[in-house]
Amino acid sequence: MFLQQLVNGLTLGSTYSLLALGFTLVLGLLNMLNIAHGDVFMFGAFLGLSFAMLGVPLYLALILAMAGAGIVTIIIERLCFRPLRKAHFLMPLLSTIAFGIVLQNVATQIWGSEPVRYPQATEITQFQLGPVLVSSIDIIILATSLVLMLGIDQFVKRTSFGRAMRATSEKPQTASLLGVNINWVIIFTFFVSGALAGVAGVLTALVYLQITPFIGIRQGLIGMVAMVIGGVGNLRGAMIGGLIIGIIEVMNDAYFTAGYRDIILFGLFLAFIVFKPEGLFGTKER
Amino acid sequence: MSVYTQGVVALMGVNILMALSVYAIVMADQVSLGNAGFMAIGAYTSAYLSVKFGIPIFPSLIIGALAASFIGILIGIPILRLEGLYFVMGTFGFGEVVRSFFMNFEPTGGAYGFRGPVGATLPMIYGWVLAFMVFFWLLERSRLGRSLDALRDDAEVASSIGLNVTLLKLGVFWLGSFTAGIAGGLYAHYMFYIESGNFHILVSAMAILCVILGGMYTFWGALLGGVIFSILPEVLRFMGGWRLSVYGSVLVLMMIFRPSGIISRHMVRNAGEWVGGIFRKASS
Repeated sequence: MFLQQLVNGLTLGSTYSLLALGFTLVLGLLNMLNIAHGDVFMFGAFLGLSFAMLGVPLYLALILAMAGAGIVTIIIERLCFRPLRKAHFLMPLLSTIAFGIVLQNVATQIWGSEPVRYPQATEITQFQLGPVLVSSIDIIILATSLVLMLGIDQFVKRTSFGRAMRATSEKPQTASLLGVNINWVIIFTFFVSGALAGVAGVLTALVYLQITPFIGIRQGLIGMVAMVIGGVGNLRGAMIGGLIIGIIEVMNDAYFTAGYRDIILFGLFLAFIVFKPEGLFGTKER
Repeated sequence: MSVYTQGVVALMGVNILMALSVYAIVMADQVSLGNAGFMAIGAYTSAYLSVKFGIPIFPSLIIGALAASFIGILIGIPILRLEGLYFVMGTFGFGEVVRSFFMNFEPTGGAYGFRGPVGATLPMIYGWVLAFMVFFWLLERSRLGRSLDALRDDAEVASSIGLNVTLLKLGVFWLGSFTAGIAGGLYAHYMFYIESGNFHILVSAMAILCVILGGMYTFWGALLGGVIFSILPEVLRFMGGWRLSVYGSVLVLMMIFRPSGIISRHMVRNAGEWVGGIFRKASS
């Protein structure tokens, strides 16, 4: 029973990790928060749904939703961040809240405000691994998240573009003087951030099978919680933070009252922000 | 006035109070994204007292706001140590905790919401708005107001000339949470019904937007922002289903083209001199 919950928690948590990763990429780079991130997640889920409805195979729908969500996030960068790069940090934050309202409204107009059922994308087969029952959906989610996380981790660490990203987040002016094209780094980072949210959206929708235009708000907040717990700006911290949140959520639902789940998660968030703002693995001073 | 117009005007009053509650904290150079949480505490407390114990509206509003500001002090002591984005995230986390709490708290109806408080009228709401405006007007002119200006310009300099920065910050946080508590109580007693969804993060965000776009350096900005953001959604009603998209886009564009707000202190002073000049001319 406990092991089973652990697997469920890891599966759910890995989607949170993807969200937190997107948050932390942008925050680490610009020191600004994209509140519309959760709504990009929702938009990605609906895009995936639309492609799946057209009969596109799952992996292709996933890639297309990724690209779509990434493009939406580039638009966010153009409208909410680039014109406000020198403004007070609150301006882009509020601007993204407004953009989130637009995304929710557009999704409501296109797909309706009633919960939409996701089509059964693949044959679900269950595997019995010792005491644990794992479905093929779980495996798809875990594998996709793991590949993406490892990919990004290695990309930022080893490639020259990754080095440019790290340099920009450290000292944008110096990086620019040394020949890094900051605008490209920022656009690329936003695209990756959005693409991750889009994937997370499709993967989450595969499990819960129902989506509405308003699911993004809570998911975005949870992604932020995971980011803070892992340590702001720390990629691996965000991944582990997401897994921790997923496990706490599933365990709470299994052994405690589901209604108090968000109080516990946001209470934890508050405790971290106040008493340990650098998070579990953070090294950046605030 | 039709019932519809009355509703819009009443909500405008509540929005102005919420904007003032954000402005109070902005005076100490901090921006709170959790004022909907204080609003919720004020709303639920005063509504519960009115409905369950038959306490009249005025004392129940005050008790509700005191409850909100008491929690404000409790949360303010740890959270005011944070700065910038971390303060925003911390207050935001607080707001969400409060909302989830009332979503699940059975004595006040949980997810079904709480029904019953009545009695807020338009004159009552605007009486409170006026009272707070006068208070902020006096505050801006007082010694305390000058201290807050100093704190806002440079906290280190302010503390080096002997101002108690921590106490000032805590004071404005108390004031902000009290104001939001009153706004919540009035809202509950005007709407007859409240649910946790009424105190969403977007409510906090709207209050900040009012202050920023109205102008961050004077409380008149909160008034103007509250008026604009209450009327704008109604003006856009002809857009039908796309209304919120247009509304959001207008906000995004406002940020790009007018990021420093509409009213500055300079403008208020000039306007004051202009009005004063007219009076002088008329009397001579």
